[in-house]
Amino acid sequence: MAGPMLEVEDLTVDFSTPRGNLRAVDGVSFALNEREALGIVGESGSGKSVLARTLINILAGNGTRTGTIRIGGRNIDELSRTERKHFFGVEVAMVFQDPMTSLNPVKRIGQQITEAMRYHLGVSRDESRKRALDLLEQVRIPDATRRLKQYPHELSGGMRQRVVIAMALACEPKLLIADEPTTALDVTVQKTILDLIDDLRQEKNMSLILITHDLGVARGRTDRIGVMYGGRIQEEAPAEWLFRDMRHPYTEALFRSIPQIDRPSHSRLQPIPGRPPDLLSPPVGCAFAARCRYSQPNCLEAKPDLVQATTTHRYACFHPVGTDDGAAALAANEAAGKNAAGLSLDEEREEIV
Amino acid sequence: MAGSGTAHLRADDGDLEILLRVENMVVEFPVPGGVVHAVSDVSFDLADGETLGIVGESGCGKSTTAKAVIQLPKPTSGTINYRGKDLTELSSEELRKVRPDLQMIFQDPISSLNPRRTVIDIIGEGLRVWGGEGGELSESRVLEIMEAVGIDPRFRDRKPHQFSGGQCQRISIARALVLDPKVIICDEPVSALDVSVQAQILNLLEDMKARYGVTLMFISHDLSVVKNISDRVMVMYLGKICEIAQSDELYANPTHPYTRALMSAIPGATDADDEEVLEGELPSAIDPPAGCRFNTRCPYATDVCRTDEPEILEVRPGHFAACHHPVL
Repeated sequence: MAGPMLEVEDLTVDFSTPRGNLRAVDGVSFALNEREALGIVGESGSGKSVLARTLINILAGNGTRTGTIRIGGRNIDELSRTERKHFFGVEVAMVFQDPMTSLNPVKRIGQQITEAMRYHLGVSRDESRKRALDLLEQVRIPDATRRLKQYPHELSGGMRQRVVIAMALACEPKLLIADEPTTALDVTVQKTILDLIDDLRQEKNMSLILITHDLGVARGRTDRIGVMYGGRIQEEAPAEWLFRDMRHPYTEALFRSIPQIDRPSHSRLQPIPGRPPDLLSPPVGCAFAARCRYSQPNCLEAKPDLVQATTTHRYACFHPVGTDDGAAALAANEAAGKNAAGLSLDEEREEIV
Repeated sequence: MAGSGTAHLRADDGDLEILLRVENMVVEFPVPGGVVHAVSDVSFDLADGETLGIVGESGCGKSTTAKAVIQLPKPTSGTINYRGKDLTELSSEELRKVRPDLQMIFQDPISSLNPRRTVIDIIGEGLRVWGGEGGELSESRVLEIMEAVGIDPRFRDRKPHQFSGGQCQRISIARALVLDPKVIICDEPVSALDVSVQAQILNLLEDMKARYGVTLMFISHDLSVVKNISDRVMVMYLGKICEIAQSDELYANPTHPYTRALMSAIPGATDADDEEVLEGELPSAIDPPAGCRFNTRCPYATDVCRTDEPEILEVRPGHFAACHHPVL
């Protein structure tokens, strides 16, 4: 196949709400190659889940999308009606966060796994059962024959999430989107589920978008990470690179706020001061400027573009971390005791959210 | 895993005031077809002013342990000695008198606050129930606590839906603090929060601990969070204690195979050569395995693990584990 598995160009998603227009995704562009794994990290409200849902075409009724999405070289707006019917869920599939609510509680596991392949691929009942059994084995569910006849409540959380993954894989998608697939699970179960997704990606040459709020998960499980804030990708780099050489102040702030397992106990955490922007009346300038330790007057006036700094590293910041300009901006703000938006930088006087 | 035994309990000497001592606590729930052994013969102590972290997977009994300490519900057997009184022996009236000392903060900050009441009402309810102080006095106390946890006292008449999740958790903390408690049990208090807000709440708990001298029991499934906030950490599995030690010591030298498996599962932990993957599922607490309860999933298990329950023993100075084959 020529070209990347997924190309997203200038994707914007707006929701009309009773309180006005809400722009959840604001001009996002990226590409994803075959077998590549992209992590999307960010806090609640950063637009990461809306992005995921848009890619699989399940935008809520009050949402509108502009920009183009190409999956496997096909522009999804140019699909015919029949093609569209057998495209989402087949070429691209999704694993949701909560395995309990993404399974139907009154249908047997087997029925739920076979449903999609019978509809999309038109396979016979016997064939679909055989494939379901095979899928459960692939996702390492022991005693698969018995499990097929069970209901979701008879399975543990980890088992249910395996079933959800098996359902997503039923039609052999080329692109898997996993939205916080392990957030509701224990670390040990999380590890086995992420290992499983890794293995399946290799075996089936799948591409993966892994959406998570956990930087550790993104770091260990993806090739590249995009950091979202205020509906935009603020920084994108190869996973290890991002941690070694972060440029965006938001990435740095996120990193500093997390308890690190290798730091001694009672190490003081550095919360991100202030609160996320109100997307109903977004700021004119950089979405993070109000909370940023580096922000200067120009940050409040215009949004920085996502600049391709090296072949693999993009970031959107006027005064990037780790540059002379960034160091000067931080020093000036520290001397003044506040950033350009007037936020106090005194760490003892944390802004309350 | 483990284990029974009390080798890890500390003596109450001059430097260390033991506030709470739980010995041989058992919590069982009858269910159709048997009994759930939620907590089986667990002993631990809490020194005044310290933070004890409890970690383990869902179903290990960590929340049940903490709740049984405050008699919600009363444990099936065992003693809970709090400042010279055995809480399990107290009459309901005596217990009621102790309750202000033992407070709790829950996981979901929004559903743990009554949506129809104002903040000042929610925080002040304990004071009203306990009477004693007059209206004026208790109001100033509530406003002082609001200020301390970082909720602007001007918002006293707002209702919970007008606050963010992080602010609601601050209100929960204020509600717990208002009666000047000795012990606060925090059951996954930051699990529902975004990372930046999580950092604020963890810092707030540290500050409140310093300011009001409270002792914390902090329950979480997030090992990094527990390490950050705790002085001592206790690891539980299927109703038993596996390992207990000072937090830095435990994370630097985990000796119980279950603790090691947990540590290697932390995302971002890059000790690939030291990987100890946990196979299989958590066994049923209705019919827990004989011997060490972890033997069915333990890579080190031998015959003795399947028959004899390991005792909690000191494996390194101040570091206790219940294992026949600790990794030293």
